[in-house]
Amino acid sequence: MKVNYVWLKDYVGDPLPDTGAVDRLLTEHAFEIDGVETVGNHAVLDVDVLPNRSSDCLCQRGIARELATILDTDLKYDPLAVTPHLETTDKIKVSIADPEACPRFTASLITGIEVKESPGWLKGRLESLGQRPINNVVDATNYVMYAIGQPLHAYDADLFPQVDGQWHFGVRFSVAGETVSLLAEGGANEERVIECRGDELLIVDESSNTPVGLAGVKGGQYAGVHAGTTNIIIEAAHFDPTITRKTARRLGIVIDASKRFENEPSRELPPYGQYEITKLIADIAGGTYEGTVDVFNEPKNNPAVTVRVAKTNALLGLDLSPSEITKLIARTGSTVEESAPGVLTCTGPWERTDLLIEEDFIEEVGRLYGLLNIVAIEPEKTTLSTVNTKQYYSEKIRQTLLAQGFSEVITSSFQKNDQIQLQNALANDKSYVRSSLHNNITAALDANFAHIDLLGIRTVQVFEIGTVFNKVNVEDTEGALGYKTEDGVSEHLSLAIGVRQKGNGYTPKDDTLLESACNALSTSLNTPFKWSIKQGVAEVNLSDVIAALPVPVVYDPAIKRKTTTFASMSQYPAIARDIALWVSSDFDAQRVAAILKDTAGGLCVRIDLFDEFEKEGRTSYAFRLVFQSRERTLTDGEVGGIMNTLNQVAEQNGWAVR
Amino acid sequence: MPDISGHQHPITQMIDEINHIFTDIGFSFEEGPEAETEHYNFDQLNVPKDHPSRDMQDTFWFKSKDVSEPTVLRTQTSPVQARFLESHGAPTKIIVPGKVFRNEATDATHEAQFYQLEGLHVDKGIHLGHLKGTLEYFFSKFFSGKTEVRFRPSFFPFVEPGVEVDMRLLEGDSKLAGKWIEVMGAGMVHPNVLRNSAVDPETYSGYAFGMGIDRLGVMKYGIEDIRDLYSGDLRFVNQF
Repeated sequence: MKVNYVWLKDYVGDPLPDTGAVDRLLTEHAFEIDGVETVGNHAVLDVDVLPNRSSDCLCQRGIARELATILDTDLKYDPLAVTPHLETTDKIKVSIADPEACPRFTASLITGIEVKESPGWLKGRLESLGQRPINNVVDATNYVMYAIGQPLHAYDADLFPQVDGQWHFGVRFSVAGETVSLLAEGGANEERVIECRGDELLIVDESSNTPVGLAGVKGGQYAGVHAGTTNIIIEAAHFDPTITRKTARRLGIVIDASKRFENEPSRELPPYGQYEITKLIADIAGGTYEGTVDVFNEPKNNPAVTVRVAKTNALLGLDLSPSEITKLIARTGSTVEESAPGVLTCTGPWERTDLLIEEDFIEEVGRLYGLLNIVAIEPEKTTLSTVNTKQYYSEKIRQTLLAQGFSEVITSSFQKNDQIQLQNALANDKSYVRSSLHNNITAALDANFAHIDLLGIRTVQVFEIGTVFNKVNVEDTEGALGYKTEDGVSEHLSLAIGVRQKGNGYTPKDDTLLESACNALSTSLNTPFKWSIKQGVAEVNLSDVIAALPVPVVYDPAIKRKTTTFASMSQYPAIARDIALWVSSDFDAQRVAAILKDTAGGLCVRIDLFDEFEKEGRTSYAFRLVFQSRERTLTDGEVGGIMNTLNQVAEQNGWAVR
Repeated sequence: MPDISGHQHPITQMIDEINHIFTDIGFSFEEGPEAETEHYNFDQLNVPKDHPSRDMQDTFWFKSKDVSEPTVLRTQTSPVQARFLESHGAPTKIIVPGKVFRNEATDATHEAQFYQLEGLHVDKGIHLGHLKGTLEYFFSKFFSGKTEVRFRPSFFPFVEPGVEVDMRLLEGDSKLAGKWIEVMGAGMVHPNVLRNSAVDPETYSGYAFGMGIDRLGVMKYGIEDIRDLYSGDLRFVNQF
């Protein structure tokens, strides 16, 4: 949320620590700051308000209050400090069908105003928050929302029919099929007409039972304020956050007003909004304030919470005294009373709807005292009592397969087609969960075979250990290590290994290599595996295999692993060329390779010796060179040129090119 | 020269390494199902009934005809906290590395599937200082150099107080050295989570933490696009 630094000064007072210090204080004690920017001549902080504080901190005053709490000062000016006294009016009537869905609804009547452009200071502040000024009345409603967090809506009273001299507002659930015409979205001119399903909360003009807005979500076109408006009604209400959120989400409407209603601001807030806006309208649009109607059926007071000093210190790892804790909690505006030795009774200020349990207050103590002051307790070395069987044997299998030349892959759990389809999918080709690893291993064999030269391998050998999902009958028994929700979806760990020796697909020779790997696994784990071998891929239910194995008592010692720094892969194709040379005994393969690589230059990304034999005192070496650029696709001619140079260098060294 | 030995995937290398680091201080490696019930994935973890994370936009749901109770592809490894506390009670000291799923658009730093590491330590007298010490121990081992940790306020439904954890590697010539880096969320286990699993919050307290193993890989190895982890591409895997 955007916060205007100068606006903060209205509340906190001047001098205020500079923006850098405000950034640091908020970050350490309250919220992360996503950035500080300058808009016009305003410094603006982008504050990442946490979900539990979105009830009171999605406004300038909320952040100012937070800052004052952190600085341990009082606000110089606090619009929420004094309960406003609002004149009542009998010219507006409100009927609420479901008080739980709409616990509070207030409306004020102001007559004789003049709609015009807002003064520069107000426009500047709205613009600093990324808002486009419209006219003084609409701008005032937005201004008050950004100031104290209460969304407001203005109606032209003369376009809103009266019944028996009264304007009559209603709040009720929609009837399926009825329509609401909403205000145009940010700058767009067309209205948006919503067809209701029956679960939206509506504000209606009771004179004709016409929906005038989606409660909490978005205001309607109905009785909109225009250039000639002179009499206005301003609405400020509280709507159920869940109903608001569901409707807003379903319709894809996320605007500043709905975001605030969704986060359950205090039910005490609407009259403060009315007080602020009537003052502001008087200042910038003139007119006469006639009074407010306030229908408040469902008050919700903050609870008195018992906070124990011992518990506070025990959770935070601190050693604070009762008076220190009392002072820290009191800084939030909460009332604190030491009701018994070491026991504090705390009630959060009315706008803090998040302070409900002991731990909520303990969190306040922790962050205000400073989480940076938490002292680390070094963990003690202990002997582990249990070894995870799956991890133990999976790791054993991995090491066995690595030694056999297999590399490990982790592939997608989603499939285009399989046994179990998800209710909602990321994409058409990902709407099922996998029941086997076979397809993914086959795809990995195909895809990797295209890169064998680049990889410096002759055969693609891969394996995966991963969870697969099957449909089962409820009567099926649960495997010892497999999981089954009693519902027909069972999952187990699967192991699949695959071999590919030819670019055009599976050949029966692949199975020979597979069988040797399978045998190595049986030997290593000393147990038979019930493989299903199909088209160069062998798969087995690993949960079943492991369930039959003895429970290990200690992990193998940690493997010393090399530190790797990943290098990103070129997106361009590689070209491979071979060169075979007769070389005298003065040179070994390594030296020849180094000379060739050096000559071939940076485009040669690898060189592999693939054949070597001796005859009559000379050795024949055959190398494969792989060329690839990071910037472009190489041409045959370009690589041919490099090969010509290599041939020349070979001759200079006295090597005969075969 | 031709590559003879195969290469282990960086994720399972990291999980093995993480396990050894935590084994030495008494954490056992636990696991749970990837097809998880709404009950464990959300309810038991104090995630409100109407919480946005339960929406179809964020979570993959199984079809109701296939399951006897609402079931999701787990969105976090945290349900194992609830399962393990319920079956084993306190004290408890576990790590849970595992695959999790989010229904969100993918890019270089987001995948619909990724790996998470959960930690949970519940016992008498456990506080934020233990969390800090354990994480400093872990990161120092994992990044092979003395590492410090700091907390900032944060919010997650299953902890209270909740913290954001930053780490700073103090030694070495790694690109990470000397900078504060946001690495994970953590906090003291919410009393509702303990109570839901029949552990008395008046007797026991505990911390929990959760971080992306993929993100650890980004930091440890300089991986640029986490989608490479799940591509099955040996040009990626064989670098490790």
